[in-house]
Amino acid sequence: MLKRIYIDNYKCLVNFELNFGPVNLFLGPNGGGKTSVFETLQKLQLFVGQNRKVADLFTFSDRTRWQSSLIQTFELEIERGKKAYKYELAIEHDEKSRTARVKYERLWYERQPLLKFESDEVQLYQDNGTSASPYTFDSSLSALAFITPRSDNQLLTWFKEQLPYLIIAQIIPPLMGGESAQEEKFPSARMDNYASWYRHLSQDQGLAFQLTAALRKCLPGFDYFKFTEAGERHRTLKVFFTSLGQPSASTGYDFSELSDGQRMLIALYTLLLAAQAKDATQSGKHKFILCLDEPENYLALPEIRPWMVDLYDLCSEGQVQALLISHHPESIDYLLASPIGYWFERQNNLATRVKQIRAEDDGGLSVSELIARGWLHD
Amino acid sequence: MIDYTTIVVLCEDRQQEVFARQFLESCGVDRHRIYPDVCPKGKRAGEQFVRTQYPKQVVSYRKISRRLTAGLVVLTDADVKEVSDRLRQLESALEQNGVSKRRLEERIGVFIPKRNIETWIYYLMGRAVNEEDVYPYLKQESDCKSYVQALARNRREPLLEIAPPSLKTACQELPHIFPEDA
Amino acid sequence: MSRYSKVVVLCEGRQDEVFARTFLVKCGFMVARIRFVVAPKGIGSGEKFVREQYPKEVIAYRSNRNRIQNSLVVMTDADVIPVSGRMKYLEDKLQDERQNPRRPDEAIGIFIPKRNIETWILFFMGQQVDEDTDYGHFNKQSVCKPYVEKYAKSRKQALPDNAPESLKLACSELARIV
Repeated sequence: MLKRIYIDNYKCLVNFELNFGPVNLFLGPNGGGKTSVFETLQKLQLFVGQNRKVADLFTFSDRTRWQSSLIQTFELEIERGKKAYKYELAIEHDEKSRTARVKYERLWYERQPLLKFESDEVQLYQDNGTSASPYTFDSSLSALAFITPRSDNQLLTWFKEQLPYLIIAQIIPPLMGGESAQEEKFPSARMDNYASWYRHLSQDQGLAFQLTAALRKCLPGFDYFKFTEAGERHRTLKVFFTSLGQPSASTGYDFSELSDGQRMLIALYTLLLAAQAKDATQSGKHKFILCLDEPENYLALPEIRPWMVDLYDLCSEGQVQALLISHHPESIDYLLASPIGYWFERQNNLATRVKQIRAEDDGGLSVSELIARGWLHD
Repeated sequence: MIDYTTIVVLCEDRQQEVFARQFLESCGVDRHRIYPDVCPKGKRAGEQFVRTQYPKQVVSYRKISRRLTAGLVVLTDADVKEVSDRLRQLESALEQNGVSKRRLEERIGVFIPKRNIETWIYYLMGRAVNEEDVYPYLKQESDCKSYVQALARNRREPLLEIAPPSLKTACQELPHIFPEDA
Repeated sequence: MSRYSKVVVLCEGRQDEVFARTFLVKCGFMVARIRFVVAPKGIGSGEKFVREQYPKEVIAYRSNRNRIQNSLVVMTDADVIPVSGRMKYLEDKLQDERQNPRRPDEAIGIFIPKRNIETWILFFMGQQVDEDTDYGHFNKQSVCKPYVEKYAKSRKQALPDNAPESLKLACSELARIV
């Protein structure tokens, strides 16, 4: 589970720190910094997971505009059972060349160092604490990204393998097509690879069965998914719906023919079921951390709360963690029956401040009404 | 078993909500047909929220049940009051709002744990409880799940003698929601 | 820049909303700073909705007045009972919720057209009206706008003798809001 994040000198996030619980709701005006937190998580994930150059991900203009500091600092703490990893990254920008390098990159497991990368030198530590011989490394890249799994670095490997389970998404149904060139293990940031992701997930028959059952309940007429061949490796995802008059006969549609709302519902329930599936989580070795930006977009009003209730249950049982950005009263009013809300705002367009939302006695006005009036925090 | 189209759970807090939802689901109610109406955190006493919302929910229930198979489950802690007092308060709330009393055939169940829902949960977990002490909140609301599921599975059997009296009283409300259990 | 609601208008229906919005905007309030709480159509009586919401809004107003300069406008038709009777219903409801009565220094204005808002609108339109007749709804709620705007412009002037009594009473409430 994501325990803590610290961000300094990234856009409007200056000396920004946030601790997380099983469910976290980010609220506040537009431009308040909520999406910037998600962006940061995504960049860190790409940096460590996809061997990307630091300057490509953390550009010079990403620094906080009203500060002159050339150093950006990030810290990420991820829990594993009762213990925690701490990842630290400092990036140094060069004003003249507009390039960036890693000032330091460190990974800790509790107080035990696993990796230290500073001044172009990498010091690795085995699981038993023994240090390996240091070596030189290119400071435009993540040293952690290039460590291959071995029997003596399982702790470090677990951290690297956990990062892709951070699903940072703003689902855009119009981008969700039905074509798949290959299986993909994780959904993309816009969920435009849904067909490929489902192609991977459907290998788990149990999950496929459960998803079908769930969608039959929440999507009127939904019957089943089916992949048709469209070339050697290409597949097309089709969705079959029953008709009222002919319950035994289903009509097939290309996935892309479904409405935005239908595709959104499918995406959201797939996320919930994947988060619980044995295969998808490697038998619970890793947990999904869902960072969803406005998940209730495109949904009809009665569709929102049932999904929120399912998500809340999964989170409170510890099966998944959720960080949600929302502006929707239905989500806000339901979720804020628990003290899980964070209000993001920027005074005078400067650094983001975060406050935990505590709904005071306002005579019975809903939290969403207080927010709509601008009375929650002003 | 009634196939509910919609069943509203009106309650004071998240723990009560989780308890009620788990119970209903274990009794066969489709979880997506359960609509929680929970007092927002930090607001006035959850009890006041339930009392204020109760007449509105009863009116809503009566309207909707003409067209759909609806139900209303109400949970509110007795705290230091008697269960009967709390019930009377709810009935008064109806009267003050010009809403007629709850009728026997209506699928409206009122469940009043004493001293609070944690009393029932700790009892179900096998602990010795009384109806005066305040028991601590669970670390996670969902920690009650398996115990509530067991209660739901065995709901047709009489409770043990040592069960909290408020829980025994609550069981008498069950036929309002599940008439087939009567 | 702060974006909070400066005025909350609690009312029975859309005609009241149009009336109040037109009036307040003409008095200088920004539309974006006016928050309407209108009785949902078809769900019980508008009067009952206003009466039940009133204490909640008073509590909300009082909770926030130290931080935010805000006001509460309440509009409810007198119908067949006297204006004072309708006022008393609201005050009683406040008392039921264990709240102190409205104070003179509070920016809470209660406007009670008798027999209903259409009585006032027709008066502004230059028609002879009484406070007993139910004049019925307008086909278009916006028809009142130019007349309400005109009244808002001249609100500091004394009303003519033949103005409805409920309108004269309402004028004394104006100072709390504008």
